[in-house]
Amino acid sequence: MTLVIGSDTPAVRELVAALDGELVSVPTGRGDILDAGWSWTGELDAWRTTEADGPRHDAVVVAAWSDEPGDPRPLDETELDTWIARAEVPFARWFAAMGVAAARCADGGAIVAVVEQPAPLDCAGRVAETAIGDAVEALARSLARSEGPRGVRANAVTTPGRLTTPPVVLPPPPLDSFPGTVALEVAGAVRVLLSPDAVGVTATVLAADCGRSAR
Amino acid sequence: MSRVVLVTGATGGVGRGIALACGSAGWTVWIAARRDIEGAAVAAEVTALGGHGRFVHCEASDPTSVREAVAGVIACDGALHGVVANATSGLSPRPGAVGEVSLADLHDHVAVSLRGTYLLAVEAGPHLGATGGALLVLTSEAGFEGKAKLPTYAAVKAAQRGLVRALAREWGPAGVRVNALGPLAATPAMVEAFERDPAMAERVLGRSPMGRLGDAATEIGPVARFLLGPDAAFVTGATVMADGGSCSIS
Repeated sequence: MTLVIGSDTPAVRELVAALDGELVSVPTGRGDILDAGWSWTGELDAWRTTEADGPRHDAVVVAAWSDEPGDPRPLDETELDTWIARAEVPFARWFAAMGVAAARCADGGAIVAVVEQPAPLDCAGRVAETAIGDAVEALARSLARSEGPRGVRANAVTTPGRLTTPPVVLPPPPLDSFPGTVALEVAGAVRVLLSPDAVGVTATVLAADCGRSAR
Repeated sequence: MSRVVLVTGATGGVGRGIALACGSAGWTVWIAARRDIEGAAVAAEVTALGGHGRFVHCEASDPTSVREAVAGVIACDGALHGVVANATSGLSPRPGAVGEVSLADLHDHVAVSLRGTYLLAVEAGPHLGATGGALLVLTSEAGFEGKAKLPTYAAVKAAQRGLVRALAREWGPAGVRVNALGPLAATPAMVEAFERDPAMAERVLGRSPMGRLGDAATEIGPVARFLLGPDAAFVTGATVMADGGSCSIS
């Protein structure tokens, strides 16, 4: 059974269903106060401590997505509380969730972080989300290094699904199916990385974006 | 042409190197930092090299402080051609795996590096638009590769690179460029770390084609000056590595 450490949201539940997984819900980590001093992380810290002691799994997927990604917004028009909500809260949630993933992944197992990331052509108005996407990629690579000695692989899958607002910048994506769906394109990429066939693949980022980022 | 630039966290290391390189070109360089005495000393070094060195107190993660620092520059010099988001958490070299780092420590990393870049961009943006200026953000090879023992530092450095990529798209139409620079410099912190952990020195230098660290003032700073200046007028959204070829996947 695949363990999915993620938000209890419709999009993540769709991923859980497609992977026939079991969801461990990450707290929202924000409460009503988005203060710059991060007082809202208490709940997240307690959750991390508790969940890290849970049973280990061979396959662990992390999808600490926001409830709603919100509309694109230029950085110039982004107030500090919005920045905290769109960048800092997700950063803390992802960091806590990735720590739990490392603790809950069995020796020889695999971790896949599934992060929302706009393709480079389409990232205007998505500064916060692009920053968090890159941060999660780096966290996955850090886990690949720290957990590799016990045989654990760690990779990331990126999806622009909820962050893409038409019309997209030309040229059009290679596949008409862009930006893809959670159940088909995203879950498929995750299964590839969890598969024993990917035994030699770690510290890699797979863009499940129908070729949009061309990497 | 003389330019006015502001560099955060420029009391030492790479930030100081960037300030000195810009000063040697005759630029006006504002040292924006928490440590007043050290900042004033670097400003004096800038002036001694033929530039105009100035100091302004600045807490990179504090909105009011950043706003006042930028306003102070404009009040004094009337223009801003470049800003450098260089300030980094003092916890950056503290090791700890992802599950071991407290969220309080994560907060410090994120507040100084990522929020600090956001605040600087928001406050300086209009002034850079007026001059067709540039924002430069200091990142690291860690942001590309991840680090087993420094995952927090790696994550914030990666986040800054993502910020650069997206903001370059937003500011391009206004003629404002946004780039990142990944140095591998012989900073006092790095030299001290090497002395403390010779295996680290072997690890870091062994992977580098050039087999050494770069000089912050003469090898890293000039690259920053290029990215801030008119010779880089068509360079935006890029991460330039000044690391002697150390990072293998940039």
